Amino acid sequence: MDKTNLKTTLKLIVCILLATFILDKVIYFTFNFLSDKVLSGQAIGKLNHYIITKDTIDVVAFGNSRTNRHINTQKISSSGFNMGVDGTSIAYSATLIKMLPKNKEQIIIVNVDTKNAFKDSYSGDDVNRLNVRYHRDKIIKREIDNVNLDDYIQKFYWSKGYNGKVLGILKNVFIPKYDYRTYYGYDPIYVNDTQKQIFQNYLKYSDPEVDCLDSYTMNSLYRYYLKEMKVFCEENKKKLILITAPLYRDSCKEDNSKFTKILKEIDIEYYDYSDLFIENNLMKYWKDEIHLSNEGAEVFSDTLQELLVTPL
Amino acid sequence: MFFNSIDFFIFLLIVFLLYWLVVYKNLKFQNVLIVIASYIFYGWWDWRFLSLIALSTIVDYIVGFRVYETRNLLFKKRWLWVSIVFNLGLLGFFKYYNFFIESWVDLFSSVGYEFQSTRTLQVILPVGISFYTFQTLSYSIDIYRGKLKPTRDFIAFAAFVSFFPQLVAGPIERATNLVPQFLHKRTFTYKTFSYGIKLMIWGFFLKLVVADRAAIYVNAVYNNVDNHDGLTFIAATILFAFQIYGDFAGYSLIAIGVSKLFGFELMTNFKRPYFSASVSEFWTRWHISLSTWFRDYLYIPLGGNRVGKFRWLFNLFITFLISGLWHGSNWTFVVWGALNGLYLTLEILVFKKKRKGLINVLFTFVLINFSWIFFRANSIENAFYIIKKVFTSPGHLYIGSGDDITASLYATLAIAILLVVEMKKEYFNTIFSISNNKSELIRLIGYAVLIYMILYFGVFGKSQFIYFQF
Repeated sequence: MDKTNLKTTLKLIVCILLATFILDKVIYFTFNFLSDKVLSGQAIGKLNHYIITKDTIDVVAFGNSRTNRHINTQKISSSGFNMGVDGTSIAYSATLIKMLPKNKEQIIIVNVDTKNAFKDSYSGDDVNRLNVRYHRDKIIKREIDNVNLDDYIQKFYWSKGYNGKVLGILKNVFIPKYDYRTYYGYDPIYVNDTQKQIFQNYLKYSDPEVDCLDSYTMNSLYRYYLKEMKVFCEENKKKLILITAPLYRDSCKEDNSKFTKILKEIDIEYYDYSDLFIENNLMKYWKDEIHLSNEGAEVFSDTLQELLVTPL
Repeated sequence: MFFNSIDFFIFLLIVFLLYWLVVYKNLKFQNVLIVIASYIFYGWWDWRFLSLIALSTIVDYIVGFRVYETRNLLFKKRWLWVSIVFNLGLLGFFKYYNFFIESWVDLFSSVGYEFQSTRTLQVILPVGISFYTFQTLSYSIDIYRGKLKPTRDFIAFAAFVSFFPQLVAGPIERATNLVPQFLHKRTFTYKTFSYGIKLMIWGFFLKLVVADRAAIYVNAVYNNVDNHDGLTFIAATILFAFQIYGDFAGYSLIAIGVSKLFGFELMTNFKRPYFSASVSEFWTRWHISLSTWFRDYLYIPLGGNRVGKFRWLFNLFITFLISGLWHGSNWTFVVWGALNGLYLTLEILVFKKKRKGLINVLFTFVLINFSWIFFRANSIENAFYIIKKVFTSPGHLYIGSGDDITASLYATLAIAILLVVEMKKEYFNTIFSISNNKSELIRLIGYAVLIYMILYFGVFGKSQFIYFQF
């Protein structure tokens, strides 16, 4: 390689890196400015909403879509908030819990699916859903770094945290999906006729399979997050309760019993509602095998209300 | 090692610097470096299968000489058969053994005979085996045909067989094009380098934005066929057409771009296939390296079109049937290949003139999409179920929820960009003007825009390229 070629090539590489690096920071701060205005929508809006209300709420529910769709926290407290987000798991919940105010009494409900606790493959990558605030929040940065999911690209191009969220931000800046002042994070499913038909067909043609795992050793990362949540809650006057929301049919109960046993050992309060509707399993309570309809969700929320409000 | 992984970028940077700054004065050392790098690249998946590449290299290196030096035509042919049997034997064992055993058992059980025991094996398919076996076969066949002299330089030959940019998913290079490049000194030019980078960026856009965004909707539909209706299957199939194009053309562009960084020229693998006005034209634009391989080493030896009409049509059909089987050991691929063979034979019988115009482009696109149903469906039963739904039950269009909607929106946006860029080249013979602008500043902006589109709209993670499974 002669010197002229080397010089021109290096110039090209440096120019591309420099130009994109500078532009990245401009875009990053612009997106920060815009996204801070977004308080509706699941990707950014709900997180922003949580951040501005976390100091004032007294009941908060965490988990995946089975939290978001099933738990009406308003039934438990008028200052309740549902922070359930599709596709998230224990790492995401634990990180958000650590962002709650210190020394403030709050009830923390974490909805877990017991099978997930025993999956070897769980790597805590759901915490990456918070990467939009990686360079802005120390707790989030620490938790993402902690699971060793180094995203070298994002360390250079900060705005990569907005990957897949750009259109959502722009849309919600100008046309908010809902009025956040009347939103508490709970999104019940109003099942339409087509969805009912699909679920009925599914039940008609599918055989219930016994879906047990080969072994029941709790994933070490999962166990770590359970302990982290427990320690944080104990140190900061919070009541931590883990639950499992109802399932249409839970053919394998080994994971439930093993999970219950482990939580007892580590002294975390846990209630398994997976069979809540086993005696009275009406179709109107369900959207599919794992999601309750709005009617089912209300019955389930009443049950939680009885559990939490009465003794407190 | 995936092209879309940080591991690959670190690997590429190290190899590139060593290649041009340390061993650049010595051709032999450069080739040695390519062989070592290629074996590391491949061994990243499964080092055990390196032995297959090494074995294939040794066998075809020896066979090449034997074929060339043997005067007796019969012995020449026998040596060629050694290469054919060895390479196709490898492919047959690793890729098709279980498929044929299972199909055989199914066939007998359909007529009421049940086997007491069958010997299927837990064989892992070595990545890229279909590609490198075809590449080495072309070397032996071309020597047999007198188109190529065998190389004495074993390292250069090993580099040809294992050249990492195209080792696992092509383009399937001809020995006549690639082997000579390993025997001559490569020179670094800024122009080639920057063009290579540009191809890589566009390739990543096709893979990470077009293909991987489209895949989210396609997988949601095709992996849950019971829950969807005709309109949804049509939308998913159209998206799949762009998914597979983005995935494979993206891979090919990255491979060609990376090769340019090292001073190599690989063949073009895709030429805007969805602008074809007939299926026969489509096959001159889609996976060109494979289509021409089948043309030169199967279709023409069968007689090509220099035979009677019936035999000609049979040659075409059988070539596509085998091409379908090459793609995968599943009946869905066999039907896909047969369907394309059928399209071509019908085109010859029905249309006498070369077809042109937008209507024919759209009609061809529909036919190709119909065949993609078989290519993508998880089973033959699923494919027929989808077709039945398309024609009998349009139903509602599934939009998805949350992330699915966003993914479909990004995919649609990316496809629109792809179509505009390709349309410009196809109909106005100009390529994307920003990244080809004379002004360096504007070119820089062009690169930056593409990089940012990948950053904001791409799917990051280690998603595999579809053609790796073949």
